[in-house]
Amino acid sequence: MKIATQDSAKSRRARSTEAVILFCIGTQTFAIAADAVQEIRSTDSLATAAVEMELAEVPKVRHLVERSHRTYYVVSGCAHFGLRVTRPTLVLILRQIRTAVLVDSIERMADVASVHALPQAFQGEERHWYRGLIYLEDRVIPVIRPEGFLTPEEFARLDRAAKSIEARDELQGAVQA
Amino acid sequence: MSGPAHHTRKSWVLLHVGNRRFALPAESVIELAPPVRLHNFPHTSKLIAGVIVRRGRIVPVYDVSPVLCGRESSVHRFYLIAERTFGPGNETSEASAIPVNGECELATSEMQPPRENAPPYFAGTLAIENENIDVLDLQELVSAGINDSAAANLAEARP
Repeated sequence: MKIATQDSAKSRRARSTEAVILFCIGTQTFAIAADAVQEIRSTDSLATAAVEMELAEVPKVRHLVERSHRTYYVVSGCAHFGLRVTRPTLVLILRQIRTAVLVDSIERMADVASVHALPQAFQGEERHWYRGLIYLEDRVIPVIRPEGFLTPEEFARLDRAAKSIEARDELQGAVQA
Repeated sequence: MSGPAHHTRKSWVLLHVGNRRFALPAESVIELAPPVRLHNFPHTSKLIAGVIVRRGRIVPVYDVSPVLCGRESSVHRFYLIAERTFGPGNETSEASAIPVNGECELATSEMQPPRENAPPYFAGTLAIENENIDVLDLQELVSAGINDSAAANLAEARP
């Protein structure tokens, strides 16, 4: 009986907190739910697998990578948030969403008890970018909305561009053969 | 502060923005907050300088200096926190902060109609100590800032 009580208290605690990854782009710190990230890789380790692509309509994406038979579009965190361009060293490959994000560094992981709603005063693109805000050790940190990196329209454009890159590569391969 | 009641004697909080004094209805003011840390993160909302944390709440800070004075002010270190309403029928409200220089006072006066050709964010005027003090309509003021290109240019580069 006692053990059951402890277990239920533990599970209540587990439900009431959320694990987030704190990462940096330039001087800004952001948070993302840990379970929204599939893997974190160095840009060097992905460099050979990355395929260059340039699409005027989606300038924040300059590369795509294939992971587990899925195409991930690599979004520049600086370009997405309108920050000064830096030299990113890490890639966050997201889970469930075909997006990878270039970031500068991982600060640490943290358990947060609550995510505050973004105040209504914020009416710009940030409503798509952020799920809310956390207050952690005297800092207010925005919590990323993973699906906010690319819109369905941008995905459609990128998919079309990726197909034409694939077709071009196949043609080049056939010519060389 | 929509639909202000003219010609009624009410309490007002007088605040300094730039070199001018303005007034807000006392009932809309929550508190005068001391100089606390202004937190910034990327956003594209015009007029918002960042957020502060007060009593466990995250409060957006509107830098209204560009609208009221035509320029940003660096001397404002305190924050006057007031309720701002949202929606066509003012259905919701949230605490909103305006940077001020800390010299705030309470006054009782009768609001007169706004001066002719006054911008819509002035709900009226108060005659206090031989001075005509404009009464701010926070909702209109923020809307004006959002539509004002000078304020917009300041907001684009944030943080």
